[in-house]
Amino acid sequence: MTAWLSAIGIALSLPLGLLLAIIRWRRVAVLDGVLAGFVSLIRATPFVTLVLFIFFVLPSLGIELKPIPAAIVALTINTMAFSSEIWRSALDSFPRDQREAAEACGMSEFQALRRVIFPQIWRSSLGPLVSEATILLKCTPAIAVIGVVEITRAASRIGAETYEPLPPFLLATVLYTALIAVLVRGQRYVERRVANRYGYVAP
Amino acid sequence: MADPIPAISVKRLCKEFDGHEVLRDIDLDIPAGTTTCILGPSGSGKSTFLRCLNWLEIPSSGAVFLDGRRVGGETNAAGKVTVNRRELAETRAKIGMVFQHFALWRHLTVLQNVTEAPIQVLKRPRQDVETQAMAILEQVGLADKAHVYPHALSGGQKQRVAISRALAMKPKVILFDEPTSALDPEMVGEVLAVMRSLAKGGMTQVIVTHEMAFARDVSDTVVFMDGGQIREVAPAKEFFAAPKTERARRFLS
Repeated sequence: MTAWLSAIGIALSLPLGLLLAIIRWRRVAVLDGVLAGFVSLIRATPFVTLVLFIFFVLPSLGIELKPIPAAIVALTINTMAFSSEIWRSALDSFPRDQREAAEACGMSEFQALRRVIFPQIWRSSLGPLVSEATILLKCTPAIAVIGVVEITRAASRIGAETYEPLPPFLLATVLYTALIAVLVRGQRYVERRVANRYGYVAP
Repeated sequence: MADPIPAISVKRLCKEFDGHEVLRDIDLDIPAGTTTCILGPSGSGKSTFLRCLNWLEIPSSGAVFLDGRRVGGETNAAGKVTVNRRELAETRAKIGMVFQHFALWRHLTVLQNVTEAPIQVLKRPRQDVETQAMAILEQVGLADKAHVYPHALSGGQKQRVAISRALAMKPKVILFDEPTSALDPEMVGEVLAVMRSLAKGGMTQVIVTHEMAFARDVSDTVVFMDGGQIREVAPAKEFFAAPKTERARRFLS
């Protein structure tokens, strides 16, 4: 459950974060300000509070979500907000002349983003994004508050039933470590390939 | 006999940054097939002027014409400039640009740098573009580097790739923004040699440069700028032999 929720959360939040970042980077009128406020709000809200808000408060606004969808929404919104800041700083620090070279060739802004900017910034943002993904993974115990059984919740249940908390929590720790190791390994692998091929890691 | 319609025609171009006037009332015609060097002290507005030609800087007022067609957008009665993105991109596709720091796309090989825009912007078939790109790289002496990434090249090689990238679009004009200023002295020659052969081949070039010998020997026309204005436009030989303005005389001495 933990792995699934995390994977879905990561798969949804990174692209959405990029979308947010692009909107803010281009300074789209009104939306820019609204999103800036939204991102600050989400970043300021403790994750447990966000989960409770989505599960218990949204229904009173007519949006009712089952625990698992609510958990996915909470994870996605949270990581989207943080990753959008990572994407945005990558966009802001992208070399201006490379972007201008694209525009000077007659590329549209979208073509420049897709063909020139994005292929470079995802590589330079990989480290911070993966660390954001591991934080997402470590946020998953918080969704136990709305009754979703994930690793930590399962461990504490087993511990409570058997009066032997050590083995289940030990196992839980091992599982988290394994999941995070997968992410970090993936990052290392991609970084090595990029470095071998292009002779650089970040632009 | 020069082409009756100039390749580039600039009319009353002005550019302000935050109320500070950088370019004032610039008028200039650049005939097709000629090489023009823009000279002047630093801060004279020459790079800004060059960047206004393809609207990388959007002029505050005035107009630029490429082959008689207006670049970028319209200025309305109130003097406010509106940009037509699609038309601007179409015009930019006909104007090559070479930057001081090369601005190669680092995630693409030399060949991909050259073929990217013709394939993406002009929608030409990959096979054709690659054949043409290899011919261009051959011409600038870099065919053996086609599959190398930019980080492995020297500055002079990078700039020759940047020129190839511009050429692959079959532009009407190529703009050069201090193309040799970031190069080690021994690499300046190889880049200037490429530009010299383009000049011989009849490419229209507008070059902001500090290379006086190159301006004198290769360019047809010299434009001398100072304080955001054009002070002197003259055939290169005349300009270097006998500059008309006092400011240009001081600049050359």
